[in-house]
Order: sequence, then C-alpha cells, then structure tokens
Amino acid sequence: MEKKVAKKGIGWGEKTLKNMLEEEKQLYIETGYYYGLKELPLMKEDPLKMEIFFSRLLAALVAGRESTRMISGSPFVREITELAVALYTPEGDCILQSTGIIIHIPLMGQVIKWMINQNYEEDPGINEGDIFTSNDNQIAGMHVADVYDIIPIFYGGELVGWVGTVIMEAEIGALSPGLMPTGATEKFCDGLRWSAEKTGTNDKYSKCFEIRIRHGSRLPDLLILDRKGALAADIKVREEVKRIIGEFGVDYYKKGLRELIEAERRAQLERVKTRMVPGRMRASSCYENYYSKAMVPAHHRVDQMTLVPIDVIIKADGKFFWDFDGAGSWGWHPHNTTPSALTGAACLLLSQQIAYTGMANQGTMFCVEMNTPYDTYVNPSSTNISTTNLFAVPFQAGAAIWNLHCRTFFSRGFVEEVILSNQISVKGFQGAGIDHHGRESGMLNVEAAGTSPSGACAIRDGFTGFASWQSETEMGNVEVWELLLPVNWMGRRLIPDLCGWGRYRSGYALASTQMIYKSPLLGFEVWRVARQDRINPNAGIFGGYPEGKGFGWVVTNANTARLIEERKPLVHGIGYPGEAKLETDVEGKLEDNITLSTGWLDGIGKHGDWIQYSCSSAPGFGDPTKREPKLVKEDLDNGLLSIERCRSIYGVEARYDDKAEEWVIDEKGTTKLREEKRKERLAKGITAKQWWQKRRKDLIEGNLPQLLKEMYNDSLAKGARWPSEFTAFWDLPADFKFE
Amino acid sequence: MSEISYPKEVIKDLVEGRLPWDRVKSIISGYKDADRFSKYVEILQEKMPWKEKILLPLTDELYIVEKGDDRIVKCSCGHEFGDYRENWKMKALVHVREREEEIKELYPYYGAAPDPRYCEVREYYCPGCGAQLEVESVPFGYPAVFDFMPDLDTFYSEWLGRPLRTKKEFKDMTEGLTKSWGGEG
Repeated sequence: MEKKVAKKGIGWGEKTLKNMLEEEKQLYIETGYYYGLKELPLMKEDPLKMEIFFSRLLAALVAGRESTRMISGSPFVREITELAVALYTPEGDCILQSTGIIIHIPLMGQVIKWMINQNYEEDPGINEGDIFTSNDNQIAGMHVADVYDIIPIFYGGELVGWVGTVIMEAEIGALSPGLMPTGATEKFCDGLRWSAEKTGTNDKYSKCFEIRIRHGSRLPDLLILDRKGALAADIKVREEVKRIIGEFGVDYYKKGLRELIEAERRAQLERVKTRMVPGRMRASSCYENYYSKAMVPAHHRVDQMTLVPIDVIIKADGKFFWDFDGAGSWGWHPHNTTPSALTGAACLLLSQQIAYTGMANQGTMFCVEMNTPYDTYVNPSSTNISTTNLFAVPFQAGAAIWNLHCRTFFSRGFVEEVILSNQISVKGFQGAGIDHHGRESGMLNVEAAGTSPSGACAIRDGFTGFASWQSETEMGNVEVWELLLPVNWMGRRLIPDLCGWGRYRSGYALASTQMIYKSPLLGFEVWRVARQDRINPNAGIFGGYPEGKGFGWVVTNANTARLIEERKPLVHGIGYPGEAKLETDVEGKLEDNITLSTGWLDGIGKHGDWIQYSCSSAPGFGDPTKREPKLVKEDLDNGLLSIERCRSIYGVEARYDDKAEEWVIDEKGTTKLREEKRKERLAKGITAKQWWQKRRKDLIEGNLPQLLKEMYNDSLAKGARWPSEFTAFWDLPADFKFE
Repeated sequence: MSEISYPKEVIKDLVEGRLPWDRVKSIISGYKDADRFSKYVEILQEKMPWKEKILLPLTDELYIVEKGDDRIVKCSCGHEFGDYRENWKMKALVHVREREEEIKELYPYYGAAPDPRYCEVREYYCPGCGAQLEVESVPFGYPAVFDFMPDLDTFYSEWLGRPLRTKKEFKDMTEGLTKSWGGEG
C-alpha cells in the first residue's frame, strides 16, 4: 500500500493553516493566554523596540487606507471614509487596525478563519498575489454592500499574515438601488455576492470579476474603482510589512505580533477594572418590521415587532458577557442579525469607548462573551434570509450597551468618558431612474451615516457631529455628492427643538433639504438602518429624555418653477419660524406616510421636486429642569430653542430684548417656574405600586395592541431566563401568555 | 512611570462641568488617574446634606450608601429608596406620557415621536424632591428596567482591594417586592 506523505503547509514551520488555527485555540483554552504566552519577553526586554515595531505596522495601515481614498471614486470612501484596513495573523486574528468602519475588523478575520476551515490551502489554493473577495454575510459581515478584499502576505515562502480592506459600496446591484433594499426578504434579492471568492491572482483582479460587476451593478465604475483602491491598500500594507520583517527579522515579527495580541488582552481587562464597575446592566430594544403591505412574497407579508432584551454583565475578571436571552423570532426581512455581526458591534464599541489606545485587536475581543440564542432575531436558523442590513441590532442594541457602559464610567468618576450614543434611526432615500447626466442610474445618499448628533455628555452638551459607528465624523462635501446624485442641496441645518432634552442636552438633529435636479424620472425607496417607528429607543439617562427618531418626506409634482418665477421663498430647513416649510409652502403631492413604509414610495420625482430628511437626535443626560439657565440662553440665542419648550421642558423664563437682539433670562421667573414644575411632578406622579397595579391589569385584560401581544408571546416562548423574569415582575402565572 | 494623579480641585471642576474643554480633552487622551474614584467620592460626599458613607454614585442624584449594615439607594435630597438590589424605580413616583400633546412637547415633529399606544414614555420622580431621576421609553407593558445593579463586594474587595465591612448576596430582589404587591390583590 502506498504510504501517504503529509503535505507541507504554507504556515509557520510548514504547518498547515488549519493546524495553526487549532493550536492557537487549544493553547488559549488550556492556558488562558493567547498562544499560551504567559510571559511577554520581547516587550519586557526592549519595550521601545516593540513600540517602534507597533507604530511602523500601524503607519502602514493608515498609509494604505489613505491610498484607497485617492483611488476610489465614491463619496462614501473619499468623503465619509467608509472603509478600514487591518492586519491579521495567519490564523485570522487581528493584530492592529486602522480607523474607519472598524465594526468589520473581526469580521474580516472571521472570513479568513472560514477560508482556513474550508481548506482553501488546498483548493482553491492560497498563493502570493491572490485576492479573495467576500461580502457573504453567512460567512461574516454586516451589510452586503460592505465588501472585503483580503490578500495573503508571504515571506520566505511562508504565509506570515493577511491584510484586509473593507469598503462600503454605494451600489451593489440588489433588488432596489443603493445598498439597503428594504424589500429584500431573501438573500437572492441581495445583489452581487462573493463568498470568499478568489477574484484575482498576481495582484490583479480577473477579467471575469470585472465583467460580473459591469453587468451586475447600477454604478459599476464606483464598485470597480473601489476594488482597485482596496487592492492598492492591501498591497501597500503587504510590501511595508515585508520591509518591516526585513528590518526586525521574521522571528521578531512572528513573536511580536502574538505578544501584541496577548498584551492587549491583558490591558483590556485592566482597563475595565480601573474604569468601570462590575455588575449587571440592563436595557431593552425593540425592532419593527412592517411588511404586510410590502411588495414581497405573500408568505413574507407579516407585520412584526420583536424584542431583543439586553443584559450586560461585567464580570469579576473584567470580561463582558452580553446576554440576549428573550430575543424574539427572526423574520423574512433584511434586519435580523447574526452572532458574527454582534462581534463586529463589540469591536466598534470597545475600540472607541475603552480600548482607544490604537492597539485594539483580537486581544480586545477575547474579553467579550455572548449568549445569542439560536433560531432568534440575533441568530436566525434560516440561511436564506436577506442579510443586507444586519446592522439594525448592532446599531440599536449596540448603542444601548454603549450607554450602559457610560453608567459605570460615571459611577467610577470618569465623567469625561460619558458621551451617550444615539440609536441612529437615520432615514434617507435611495432611488433609481435617470440622473442629471441623462444616464440610467441608481442612487443612494448616506451623508447622514457620516454624522448624527451625539447624546449628551456627563459634563457638557452633546456634539453636533458624531458617529458612534464610525471613528471619523464626516458628511462629505455637498459639491461632491452633487456630482453623483441628481439633487441640489438647498440646506443642511439643525432642527430647532429636536434634541434629547436634559440637564445636558444631546446635539440637535440635522436635516438635509434637496431639490431634484435635471432628472426626468426618479423613484424613491426609504432607507434606514434602525427599525424604530412606533417605539423610540430607551436611551436617555439620569432623567434625560430619549432621542427623537429621524424622519423625512418627499414632495412630487411640486410647484417649484412657479415659486422661483414669483420669487417666493424656497425651503432650506425644518422648523424655523417664519421660513418656508416643505409641508405647507410647496404645492405638490406630499409623501408623508413614510414612517411605517417599507420599500418604494408611490410618487415619482422629477426636476424641481423635493426631498427632505433628518437623522435622529440623541439621548439627554439628567433632569432638564436642572439645566443651567446660561446654557438655555445660548440655545435661545442660536434660534434652536422655542420659548414654549424653554418654559415647559427646562422651566426657564426668558424674554427677548429687541434692542440688544438677545434673550434675557428672568431669574425670579425661572425659580418660580421650576418650583411649580417640581410641585406638578409630585402631584401628577403616582406611586410605582399604583402604576404597577394599573399596568398589570392592562396586561391581564389584554389592553394592548395585538402586535405587542404577539411580540411578548414570542419572547415568552423563545427565552430561557427572560420569560420567568417577565412573569415574576408582573406576578403572573409562569405559563402566562396573551390571547 | 509614576502614577497619574490630578488635584482634587481639578476633579471637582471636571465633575461639575467647569473645566475648560482643552483640559478635559487632555485628560481623556492621557493615562487614567488611579485615585480618581476616591477623590470623586470625597468630592460628592462633601456636597451631600447627609452623612451616610457613599459606596457608589449611581446617577447624578442617586447614591448607594452604607446605612448601618444595609446598603441603600439615597437621593441627594435625602430621600431613601431601600436596598440597592431592588430596582429603586419601584419606590419612585411614576408618570407616563400617555397623551399626544405630552409626547409632542418632547418631539414636536411628525415622525420623530413614538406612538403612545405602543410606547410608554415613563418618567420616574424622587418622592422627596421631585427630581426627574430616569426616563424610560419602552414597549407598553415592559417591566421597569433595572438599569444597573453593581456587584459591590467584587468591586470593593477584588478591584479596589478594600473589602466592605459586610457582605451581601449579589441577587436581584425586585421580584420579592412586586410579588408582595400581587399578593395584596
């Protein structure tokens, strides 16, 4: 019998990558240290050399990322930096990451691990110069439009690592234009898909790959240029890594990158112990998917509200445990999520909230564990559902977890770290038709994804520009967006009276007002990531109010030409007293029913029609009646606060001084108003017991909407711990369910 | 490297929102000061009109304090809510914004507001001083959210290295309270 000779692997010491992956896992389980590294000799012997080593690698990633921005033609990349680059070990563990959309960093690592487990080493083979492209969220990912280009790094014939670049694409050839088709209920509507596919060799994409893009996307030039930009970043990093290895030695490189991961793991646990407080934190999140009237297959036409309760445990050893017990069922829509996507959320949160030294990597991620019950909204059993927007839960639940972390920073005295996040119920429009160059085109504008207001801080008001899902805040220049989209921006302005009220308020919500330009035909679809229509997120803290949701509308058949001819005022913003308003001062068909809509609007737009939308506001901090009057005056003087809400919410009395052209706070009036407010609360507040008895009766008698009954029944049936807590809280029978 | 430490006055200004932003920014970007918690608690303790020892600030108005052998939640005004392992909200005053006008006051724009048939915007007030302590926005019928139940014994003994005088079981006790209410019919 012929003796089978073990094939040499491409990993270190001729091991296969599978062997390396197995060894790494085993050593971690056995020792609790990454690769069993109880000691960190390189760091101990020469910490400065290690620091230089790290900085050189990080500089390579940042330089790589900037190269992409120079090559890409997409405003997503050039303007709002929807990209990121990361370096990985041969096993797919992140060593370090650039800034940008870092939610994808562990997910690209998961793609590498998947390729290893699928034995790519043998077939299709992994060679110097190969390119692997993936946007298949069954493997790992967040949106289908987030495309990963990953290349191996070889040195001296061994695979020493990987580099990956993620870019969010403007158009992915899905059921509807843009990148988040709300009508996609199955993955077969999601658009172009690469399942960790070898798309190029010798540092060049295959011709077939380019042809597929040309034939499969509404904006193929952008998609192809982005691939070239991603590849440029990958190659730039690869070559710099080789230079660094040449300088430091391959042995140092191999040991050094493992030490970087283990050192970060230990640092993360220490950071938690020195800045936070152990214990249990709780939040709720609810997802609304209204598909009963959507143009989807009949068996997908369901209206569904789904609970995802959140328990965050900070354990004695400094690790986090995220428990989603009680999560309801997954549904036929693109807004479920996966354990993989939630891992991305963990990276996003920790890298920005606590592990922001620039050294966040796989070591950080070792400090988060999760319970994502199978066959639920957070871990669907179907492999056929659409995954174009797995971000809804990471956005909403992720922001809730972010804010829970802020509670412990506050308790510990690190008040400067308390910056609340919004749950970003951003709305916008994507559409298709003829653009201003006369071409058939699909469009998506994600300017609002680049910025939203932050929630309040513990020591100041929230920021106007902030994006917790992006480490850089940028809406992009209007002039650049206007090159791509057939619209003219008529205004980007804050919305008065739309903030998370509190002792410190959030930033104000931002609105964009656009007039369709030179397009004879434009259909619209509403896009939004978060799934909130009837229920606002549970987001304010310490008496601050939760955020208001994003909203928007479209006016078709508008009388704009006449308004211009008659020199009447046009619309530039929302909510400014005395200024023209879209809903009242422009004649046309107002598509104002978009809050519960899924998919396309009825109206068809053309030159002179209008689009207006806002991002959400964000949560407030503390009792609004304790807001310093001088901060209230600033809001009044800036025209962002009405005197009505100044009085009713802040309890501040003020008058406008026509001469000085500013608001003057009436201190006596304020004291009186606040005292009245205090008495009013004490009078109208009922005891918690009275409230509990009243609400319990409502539940027993079924005095709540049918959708909510179904939502609770679903979680009561799915959960392990949550159902008993729900029934115990309301003192209901253990087998309680709504009729 | 020596440990970072800021003067108490700096921490006081920071906590009270008076420190200039460039200074705050440098604190955010720097190494964290190891003695922050003790200085923080000291500053807060000095401001309180009562003497019970603060074990942990829970919110900007509520504190877990040591009272005899008990650990209770106490408002800055002096009102006491009971054991810290019970959700203090169940001893607060509650107001739910049920009417459209009440919702519109907070969210004046169509589409920004929740639907009060589906969403309870619950305000929790201190029965002692009327301060608004928390606001919840949850599906109608959702239990009062127990935002944060700290594991004080682990915190003090394992993280701070100075165990508390007594030990308490880390257990949510809210259920016992609502059960007793249910028993009253």
